Amino acid sequence: MTTTVFEDLREILMKDYELPGERLTRETPLEEIDLDSLAAMEILFSLEERYHVSIEDTDPTPFATLGEIADYVDRLVARSGAS
Amino acid sequence: MRRVAVTGLGAVAPGGNDPEALFATLAAGRSAVRRLPDAIAARLKSPIGACVELETDAQFPAPRLRQLDRVSQLALVAARQAVASAVLELDPEARSRVGVFLGSGMGGAGATDEGYAAFYGARSDRIKPFTVLMAMTSAPASWIGLEHGFGGANLTYSCACSSAAVAIGEAWLRIRSGAADVALAGGAEAPLVPGTMKAWEALQAVASADADDPAASCKPFAADRCGLVLGEGAALVVLEEWEHARRRGAPIRGELLGYGLCTDTAHITRPTVEGQARAIALALGSAGVGAEEVGYVNAHGTGTRANDAVETAAIRRVFGSAAERLAVSSTKSMHGHLLGAAGAVELVATLLALRERTIPPTANLRVPDPECDLDYVPNAARRLPDVDVAISNSFAFGGTNAVLVCRRGSA
Repeated sequence: MTTTVFEDLREILMKDYELPGERLTRETPLEEIDLDSLAAMEILFSLEERYHVSIEDTDPTPFATLGEIADYVDRLVARSGAS
Repeated sequence: MRRVAVTGLGAVAPGGNDPEALFATLAAGRSAVRRLPDAIAARLKSPIGACVELETDAQFPAPRLRQLDRVSQLALVAARQAVASAVLELDPEARSRVGVFLGSGMGGAGATDEGYAAFYGARSDRIKPFTVLMAMTSAPASWIGLEHGFGGANLTYSCACSSAAVAIGEAWLRIRSGAADVALAGGAEAPLVPGTMKAWEALQAVASADADDPAASCKPFAADRCGLVLGEGAALVVLEEWEHARRRGAPIRGELLGYGLCTDTAHITRPTVEGQARAIALALGSAGVGAEEVGYVNAHGTGTRANDAVETAAIRRVFGSAAERLAVSSTKSMHGHLLGAAGAVELVATLLALRERTIPPTANLRVPDPECDLDYVPNAARRLPDVDVAISNSFAFGGTNAVLVCRRGSA
């Protein structure tokens, strides 16, 4: 599951943000690829739509790496599947 | 008082993606008004407008592009041209004092439209996180400041169709008074989105599409005129204190001589002869230019019933018998009405008309109107070898009357 979300995240970043795939690992800091908090939010929206989940009312903890965004969406997917 | 040189020109407008291309279109009397694509025009009664034919996507890296409404994209492209045209190579300290003065009537209309379509239309709760930053009227000016490191005053003027003329005039005042040495000034507008177009249609000010030729829909000063045609685009000029420009050997593309500003207090849309005449007279007064020195008037000339007759009377009132030998033209007949960018595009056209000694025509003027009885240079450009001074009129909803006076440059 994690792999799928992360691969989708990479695909979005390569397509919409024209970032080279080799720079996009789970450990890549958002700062290193110039993604600010609004850009992270926009990407999160795209992932939400793909996985039919929605961000919880409380703001997610600020993400530091790409892996953390993927893990966050992963948890939402797992929870929606459980309910 | 200090003198103000125009050292750089930039424009992306219907009919030309740079000032030279734009002027070539205008001088050829060619209209850029077209039938709009169905994505915009599907629910419009009058499906016409004047588009910029430029792939702006190619001008920006993808992450930046996602944060820019079309109005900011156009403004940034025009600003780059103006800076390059002025050969403005400043060190960071000097850049930190350059001001940006931009007019825009509607700001990021596309971002607003898209956000509403998602929220109200599609009932989505996911609004693009950049929406506010894209839609805010000051976004184009802010992006210009960011891109060039211009850290002086960064101001956006929003007074409808006079926005750009006011932005340029206010920058002129700052330089003249010594508050600034260099400023980038102009306007940007991108109103060709469905919701905004529909609102303009509701105002009953928009021309119906000409049955035979959509390009001929805007007919300023003609008896069969029936309204304005909306256009998109941006134009900026680099204004520079005269000695500052001379010391660095900058190209002198013209001199901004004067600026007149006043406000009608009678009605939110109805123009008055008194107000327009007062702004023209104030502009000439501030320039120290006599009516007989002016050879060309780039008219506001929207093509609406009300404006063109009132503007004709206002010009007659100020110029008196000198009005008989004035060349007056409305380039809006070809590039459409760029609202908050109009005054900037038209100042660029005016400066190039002076340089080329060629007055661009008023297109689509086939049926004379007895109420509009000046020389409007109908349908074909005219060589005018001895014209050095011109004025550019901008008159707005809300009553803002703004007039700029300029003199021919040497570059």
